[in-house]
Amino acid sequence: MRALALLALLTLPLLAQHGRYLSDSNNPAIGDPVAIAAGTKLFMGSCAGCHGPDGGGGARGPNLVRRSLWHPLSDDAIFQVVRKGVPGTDMPPTKLADDQTWNLVAFIHSLTGPASSNPVPGDPAAGKAVFWGAKAGCGNCHAIRGQGGSMGPDLSNVGGSRPLAVIREGIVEPAKDLYYLGNEAATVVLKNGQTLRGVAKNRSNYSIQLVDTTGILHLLQMNDVKSLTLSASTPMPTDFATRLSKVELRDLLAYLAAQDTRAAESKGSPQ
Amino acid sequence: MKLLLSLFLTLAASAQVRHEDVAKGPGTDWLTYAGSYNGWRYSPLSQINAATAKNIVPKWVYHVPGARGLRSSPLVYQGVLYITSGNSIHAVDARSGRLVWQYADPRAKEAGPNRGAAIWADKVYFTTSDNYLTALNRHTGAVIFSKKFADVEKGTTSTSAPVIAKGKVIGGSAGGDGGMRGFVMALSADTGAELWKAYTVPAKGEKGAETWGNLLEWGGGAAWLSGTYDPELNTLFWTTGNPWPDYNGSVRMGDNLYTCSLLALDLDTGKMKWYFQFTPHDTHDWDAQSWPILVDTEINGRPRKAVLHANRNGFFYALDRVTGEFLRATQLIDKITWAKGIDDKGRPLMLPNSEPTPQGNWVCPSVKGATNWMGQSYNPGTGLLYVLTLEQCGMYYRSSQEPQPMKNFSGGGATEEGGQVILRALDPKTGKRVWEYPMTGLGRMWTGTVSTAGNVLFSGDDDGHFVALDAKTGKNLWHFNIGETLGASPITYSVDGKQYVAIASASAVYSFGLFEPAVGVEAPVIQIK
Ligand code: HEC
Ligand code: HEC
Repeated sequence: MRALALLALLTLPLLAQHGRYLSDSNNPAIGDPVAIAAGTKLFMGSCAGCHGPDGGGGARGPNLVRRSLWHPLSDDAIFQVVRKGVPGTDMPPTKLADDQTWNLVAFIHSLTGPASSNPVPGDPAAGKAVFWGAKAGCGNCHAIRGQGGSMGPDLSNVGGSRPLAVIREGIVEPAKDLYYLGNEAATVVLKNGQTLRGVAKNRSNYSIQLVDTTGILHLLQMNDVKSLTLSASTPMPTDFATRLSKVELRDLLAYLAAQDTRAAESKGSPQ
Repeated sequence: MKLLLSLFLTLAASAQVRHEDVAKGPGTDWLTYAGSYNGWRYSPLSQINAATAKNIVPKWVYHVPGARGLRSSPLVYQGVLYITSGNSIHAVDARSGRLVWQYADPRAKEAGPNRGAAIWADKVYFTTSDNYLTALNRHTGAVIFSKKFADVEKGTTSTSAPVIAKGKVIGGSAGGDGGMRGFVMALSADTGAELWKAYTVPAKGEKGAETWGNLLEWGGGAAWLSGTYDPELNTLFWTTGNPWPDYNGSVRMGDNLYTCSLLALDLDTGKMKWYFQFTPHDTHDWDAQSWPILVDTEINGRPRKAVLHANRNGFFYALDRVTGEFLRATQLIDKITWAKGIDDKGRPLMLPNSEPTPQGNWVCPSVKGATNWMGQSYNPGTGLLYVLTLEQCGMYYRSSQEPQPMKNFSGGGATEEGGQVILRALDPKTGKRVWEYPMTGLGRMWTGTVSTAGNVLFSGDDDGHFVALDAKTGKNLWHFNIGETLGASPITYSVDGKQYVAIASASAVYSFGLFEPAVGVEAPVIQIK
């Protein structure tokens, strides 16, 4: 699956816009297809050995794509890391000229930038039908702009916050490295006899914050809980790679890539 | 699809915040920035009172990821506390401080502070610094809509907590120190669609335009603080900021309407019912952003529907809120050097040598103002209004540079020197001080107050402490060293019959309550299947 994602990313012209967000640099290399292509070459030669050919992580270097999205790495920060390395770790400094370094930054940006800012193959309208249809049943668990279920994370901004490769991985290899605290399926039996089923948004030895299957939040204290049953694995079904056809998956990705709270209203609407 | 439909119905059937709930003011919940539409920051809770305050202890702390200078006053609804930071909102269990959900918009094109959220029906709302109104499901944090209401490219940003009345989300515009055209606007709580927009600076040819030179389009008059609302008069009371360029008045001769003013706007249409300008032709950046507090009281021997306003320019005003008639102004701080007083029409009686000049002029109050947007509170039990004031002066300079909008150009500059924060209890009937509580510190705080029927006034101080005072006398009852600059105002709420008081420090939310012996927590039977 990795190879496929990589191919899709590398063969498409990448059209990220300049300086759209705070973390973006105004350097002309960012979003420039020629710079990205040059950066790809450099990356394959000097970096892929450690970080993997798609930046997805290797034996000696971390995943550059799936970073904490709470604090996106700014282009300028990437530039500095590439230039100076990270002292005390395997990440080496480089002696590349400024423009070469910017080409690399442009490549990493295109890998890590939100899916909605890059062109994606597939038919979003067909993908919408897959998402809300019975075969995939995504909408039973995930909401988009106020419609859908609450057992899985809200996907209203998934295209605006995740690179395409990460969305794909979330669907076809869900148990791989998603950290699902906050999405644990839980059944709680209270000392008063009441049973609640849903997803634990948070949980400690002292309290549990549970959204039930109807989307209502319950704030529980452990002293009121008699028993708690947690699912051992992620509630996200793990068979979509085989359950959905290649075309369905491609269209679904196109639909999800378009889910961006900052996109024009028409694009984001689920129905 | 059938399954989905039934889910929506259950959700819709759960409790919803209605107009009546917000209108009745705080109780167990705290549903709007100032607690109630009238701006009182007053709660009828009284478990923590002047007698029990000595037993206040911290209950929990929530560290807001990445926060360094929180300005946000929390909301609480049904045991969940909502706090905003720049471009993010966090829902926290109000009993335990545990995170329930959080939403961040790191792609925003500005990274300003945020003063708080709003809640309506089953949604919570906040604005991003670059002017998106985002509505989220209050249980799950799922996005319902996120809609842009103004262009950051035109110099406008958003910092204030929206106020929602009758399903209208009222917001304003920040950015007045760099050149922009201020406005107050109403958006639909259901869709985020614009309902009306009221500019605070007239367009060319409109009434009031004659009080400006050529800079009308960039005149400022930002509306960066939430206002108040009188449901009976169906009127919003919103304050406006300085004219631009801040310190160079020579390029905008005239009163510069409607900057440094209080506007009375019709909730349904945004139409201006009246205005009152505190500082005509301001050259000291004395935004009128301070609370317009709605109190029915006797003033000059006559019962009045009044609006009280402690202004940055050093004076404490009372106006008739039905007509906008000026009733009275008294000195809020001791040292005012730019005006001798306020005349009987409400205009300042100017003193010489107060204008910013190339060499600078020493003026009191300082640019930070005699007070500012710090949360004030009015306590109907004591009949007192509590205002954090700043006794401070500074130099004001004017530059002769050609004004350039949106280049961070303010036509000069100002210094703040020394100074002291003093919490003052004022009598709205007379405008006089009843007691005062001087603080140590460097005049750097933006914190405010909340007061209760328990006769307690809670306030941050200028030195990183959270304090409880006797609301009648100002006597200190309790203090806690938070140890960080305080830039936000406290609130109070209750869960399971227990009262809490919460305040955001620079980086975290603290919640306090009365001491109770700990109860050990028994682990339940946990199965993993
Ligand atoms: C010898 C192995 C190695 C090579 C070669 C290498 N890196 Fe790294 N890189 C690392 C390691 C290890 C880290 C993590 C450092 C740390 O612990 O902070 C890292 C970190 C980074 C980071 C910061 C990631 C983050 O999330 O903060 C970037 C960006 C990066 N590398 C880019 C590159 C680029 C571009 C190249 C090619 C010019 C390159 N690296 C070559 C090993 C390597
Ligand atoms: C039974 C409920 C359920 C169904 C059905 C379901 N998901 Fe999920 N999904 C989840 C949960 C729970 C998670 C969180 C997983 C974790 O954290 O390990 C998740 C995670 C995801 C993620 C990663 C989200 C992120 O924030 O990165 C994506 C993308 C996703 N699902 C898409 C889909 C799509 C597309 C479908 C339909 C083909 C689908 N899901 C069907 C429950 C579900």
